[in-house]
Amino acid sequence: MIELQNITVRYGKKIVVDDVSAAATPGQFIALVGPNGSGKSSLLKAIAGLIPYEGTTSLPSDRRLRAKQIAYLAQNSTAPNERNVEDIIALGRTPFAGHLAKLNAEDKAAIQTAAKACETDGFFGLKFGSLSGGEKMRVHLSRSLATQAPILLADEPTTALDPYYQLSILSILREVSTAGAITLVALHDLKLAERFADEIWVLQDGKFAAKGPAKTTLSEAVLQDVFRITASGDMRP
Amino acid sequence: MSIRLWFIFLAATCIAALTLSLFIGSTWIDVPTVFAGLFGRASDSVNIIIQSIRLPRAVVAAIVGAGLGASGAALQGFTRNPLAAPGLLGFSACAALGAVLALYFNFPNFITPSAIAFALIGALAMTIFSRRKPGASGLVLAGIGIGALATAMTGLIMNFAPNPWALSELVYWLMGSLKNADKLDVFIAGPLTIMGCTLLFLSGPALRVLGLGEDTAHSLGISVAQTQWLIVLGCALCIGSGVAVAGAIGFVGLFIPHILRFITKADEAWLIPLSALGGAAFLILVDSLIRTTSGPGTPLYLGIVTSLIGVPFFLWLAWRQS
Repeated sequence: MIELQNITVRYGKKIVVDDVSAAATPGQFIALVGPNGSGKSSLLKAIAGLIPYEGTTSLPSDRRLRAKQIAYLAQNSTAPNERNVEDIIALGRTPFAGHLAKLNAEDKAAIQTAAKACETDGFFGLKFGSLSGGEKMRVHLSRSLATQAPILLADEPTTALDPYYQLSILSILREVSTAGAITLVALHDLKLAERFADEIWVLQDGKFAAKGPAKTTLSEAVLQDVFRITASGDMRP
Repeated sequence: MSIRLWFIFLAATCIAALTLSLFIGSTWIDVPTVFAGLFGRASDSVNIIIQSIRLPRAVVAAIVGAGLGASGAALQGFTRNPLAAPGLLGFSACAALGAVLALYFNFPNFITPSAIAFALIGALAMTIFSRRKPGASGLVLAGIGIGALATAMTGLIMNFAPNPWALSELVYWLMGSLKNADKLDVFIAGPLTIMGCTLLFLSGPALRVLGLGEDTAHSLGISVAQTQWLIVLGCALCIGSGVAVAGAIGFVGLFIPHILRFITKADEAWLIPLSALGGAAFLILVDSLIRTTSGPGTPLYLGIVTSLIGVPFFLWLAWRQS
């Protein structure tokens, strides 16, 4: 369960998330949509505890406890090209690791499960740099899943991917939420949001412009007012 | 070869280099005499050469090299910048300023504490100036700025040197040398470098995660600010004590981690101890070379030779990156 109450994020004097309240329950797949600069990434970062914010959440404030509760897939995730794929996925177990970062049987099982779910177990032994963009994103997603956190936040995980990998990534995220995790994903593609999500939260200038079931939230009025497009996908006259 | 085998290989190389350095020098001493000298059973002159000159000098080279290698690996890992090194980020410049101040004001006994104190002050200043955004970009900018200030102040002191002899003493000291290394240096630099390297080793697992970017590392429970503290304190102890006993030694902290990176496949937690061993072996060997080739009139300076070996590598790195 995530409960957000009156969350505000400021960068200097600029307010990027403005007094936002929302709740999500286990098993929900929520698509966070909105134009560029509407505050999607900042809201996700605030929930993940990466940036300071005002307001309250139901999440633990301690950094390490929060890391066990929330897996975060950053926009433009990176990893050293020379590292092996399995080593990168294993870093998802960091919140549970001791000082020497030794992996126990539970960690290894979680890594295997995550790699199988994303079909990255076939990349074990390969260098990260040898993979394509879509394969790399699947490795990052495997790393996020290896944490086995009850909440998964993904910031535009399909950006710069071809249609096959966009569907592949979102199908995996859908399965994660069906298995019981809260999955909150920032997306630009409204059609994919409608197709995969249970709920859509529409952000505009840091506030929710609309919030509700995926099938009905993106109404003609929301498309025109928030995204400045028509239902047929043309620019608003 | 696995990383563990490389670790054993480098440790063995260090011991071999240390042993070799006892035999070679301006005069070659044979094996039985060296062992007799180690236990004080050779002639007085050989006993002194082995116990008070060659052994402490080689051990100090190992300590300084280990500190430089470990610091370079940690800084490159933290900043995710292949050009980061203690020399570029101002640690060496701050320590050198401390030592030059002690020399200028004619307090030779204070060279060591002054170099270490200034390295720590530099580290503190870097942390303060990057306080608003701890992490790679903040530390690099603050480090380069503070390093430039320390270099300028060192230049100012040299500017005010009272006579050419005082100036030449400062310049020679800045070239880096182990020719005066003795047992006291081992006992000063040894514990401080061990403390510094321990802090750097402790940062290893966090550096491994920081390779995924600061946001991702933070989301996995890593504190970027705490990791930065471990690294700047570790570097200050290693570089401060190293500069105090050996002067400014360039490029070791830059190219040793680079050479060893292909072994560790960018695993920073292993790269730091491997670079410590690699740096130690390299500096013992280079100093042995200097001892063997230097004539009595014009001794080669260690900092010059390490830079002469390091610069081509640096240029190759720049060429490869472009």
